[in-house]
Amino acid sequence: MTIAKPLASGAKAPGAFLEQAAGLALIAAPMALLITLILLPTVAMIWGTLQVPSDSGAQFGLGRYQAFFADAYSMANLRYTLFQTLASCATALTLSLGIALYLRFSEGRIATMIHALSLFPLFVPSVVISYALVRFLGPNGLLQLLLEQVGFTHYRTPYLTPVGPYIAFVWENLPLPVLVLGAGLSQVSDHAIEAARDLGAKAPRILVEILLPQVRRSLLIAFALIFLGVIGSFTVPYLLGPPAPEMLGVFMQRTLGNLRRPEEAQVQAVMLMLMASVVSGFYIATMLQSERGRR
Amino acid sequence: MISRRNFLVSSAVVPLVLGTRAFAQNTKTLQVFTDGDTNISNWWNDNIKPAFEAANPGYTFNVTITRGVGDGNGTIAARALAAMQSKTDPQVDYFEEFEADSIAGSVEAGLWLTVDEKNVPNLKLINPAAIDLPYQLPYRGSQVLIAYDSAKTTAPKTFADIMAYAKANPGRFTYGRPDKGGSGSNFVIRAIHEANGRNPSLFTKESFEQAKADGMLGKAWELLRELHPYTFGEGTYPAGNTPALQLLAQGAVDMIPAWSDQALQAMNQGVLPETVKVAQLQDLALCGGFAYSAIPTNATDLEGALKLANFMLSPEMQTSCVREIGGFPGIGWEHLPAELKAEYIDVIPVSIPTFPSGDWQTAKNDGWYKNVATDIVRD
Repeated sequence: MTIAKPLASGAKAPGAFLEQAAGLALIAAPMALLITLILLPTVAMIWGTLQVPSDSGAQFGLGRYQAFFADAYSMANLRYTLFQTLASCATALTLSLGIALYLRFSEGRIATMIHALSLFPLFVPSVVISYALVRFLGPNGLLQLLLEQVGFTHYRTPYLTPVGPYIAFVWENLPLPVLVLGAGLSQVSDHAIEAARDLGAKAPRILVEILLPQVRRSLLIAFALIFLGVIGSFTVPYLLGPPAPEMLGVFMQRTLGNLRRPEEAQVQAVMLMLMASVVSGFYIATMLQSERGRR
Repeated sequence: MISRRNFLVSSAVVPLVLGTRAFAQNTKTLQVFTDGDTNISNWWNDNIKPAFEAANPGYTFNVTITRGVGDGNGTIAARALAAMQSKTDPQVDYFEEFEADSIAGSVEAGLWLTVDEKNVPNLKLINPAAIDLPYQLPYRGSQVLIAYDSAKTTAPKTFADIMAYAKANPGRFTYGRPDKGGSGSNFVIRAIHEANGRNPSLFTKESFEQAKADGMLGKAWELLRELHPYTFGEGTYPAGNTPALQLLAQGAVDMIPAWSDQALQAMNQGVLPETVKVAQLQDLALCGGFAYSAIPTNATDLEGALKLANFMLSPEMQTSCVREIGGFPGIGWEHLPAELKAEYIDVIPVSIPTFPSGDWQTAKNDGWYKNVATDIVRD
């Protein structure tokens, strides 16, 4: 067993300075990479979107953003991206919470199998799942043929509609939250649950009053992981989604690659980044809280 | 005693060295460069090479694939230009496909060999529609066609036929998104031509003006918007050439625009149902184009390169182009076997219209997304 050392703020022991310096030196290389390859280009890019061409050269202004917000098509894409992301997040979280709860309270062969199955999507690339879903859910695909065997002939394929990418996102995003929530649930002690049962609490009450409060943090982390993955996705909405509205990843690629309008693509990128950073903010705050909670 | 490892190495190397020597004494090897797709490079290696060696004893060629490396054949052309200026060996004899004027200054420097009936006798067979620049050798082409299920419908002859079929059979026609593949793109272009008096000559690089374009394209958007509710899934256009072919293969639609080579190859491979046929519109064809080979004047073996050029335009190789890769011949159909012509009669174009790159393409793709694909109410 190791004894946790007091960290930075409380440390006054001799050699603490050296230890800190060593720590900083260790992260110097990745930090330098992060700054030169990601942070600086990002700042330069954002600065570029705030320059509006005028008669006397480029001027500072919000013109590019006003154009984005004034364009009904861009706004429809923005709303669609946000809606698609939130809907897939909510569904994936609910499903994975269910699976994690089942796994928390079950043992045996079937539970192991379900655990393995729930992790399976982690190892399947987006492009593979996309083409597999086209064959499975697509017109005259396996699902439709099976349904017609039992007499259901009103199947309408979700392929190329907003439901197509939604299904792929949910499937793709089950494994991580199952792992994160599983870890969170395993920390809830059996004693607490048994005590609640002894006092006559039914399953829903145990869920709401004992389990959920203790996995709140895991839920937030899982939410952030799914949200950030889905909002910036490209392959799934490209192959399975409708032509319009487009998710911002696809829209951005088309604006840059096909229409060759880098300035507009940059504005779209900043909008995407803003949405992602709100959720990243939550994520970091949650992580910091749990750090503090441990001290 | 010789160790096992040394034995293995020497037994592998010795025949190789001897073999190359013996080979080099009687055989000249031409250097061919291609950056075309796999179907093209495979065709060159598997079909053309053995035929060329049989027809030209003492010659063979080596195909180097530059696809996806740097600027592809552009890099090799730039190297040939540099070699010309420094009077060194360019290490290339033949470009499978290259637009000679895409390397600035190469035409002026005299890098490209002018081909005519004197140095490439088979040029007398060429299809006049394919001729572009005097140093470009059109040897294969492709064009967008209408692929349809002959069990469900007859061949559409006009754009109006397609509109009529779609309206009478909702959800049984679709086309790919114009920015995601040439088949959908050229169908949208055909709609633009349809809405503007079927006159492709109105559209040139120089003729682009935003205000004028908005008006001309606007008429096409109205036409396509009229078609929109009757397409597969009421306007869920597939994202590319292959996804569109996939819908046809799955029997989800009866009619799509498709690239001639992709459709014909899919039919030969049995990927599409046997009842699927292809046809070209007769009032105005869908767009397409030719692939041009080019020979540098400083080619290491100019004589051999010209032999290869002439061989590629022979009726045998042009037949192979149709049979193996579903391409269009560079020479006139009248020089090909009569049964081949009979088999492909529905797809033989009367004319091959083109549409300019650049501003017109951008306006077309952007306009389609904002006016046809979306249900946002427009003002």
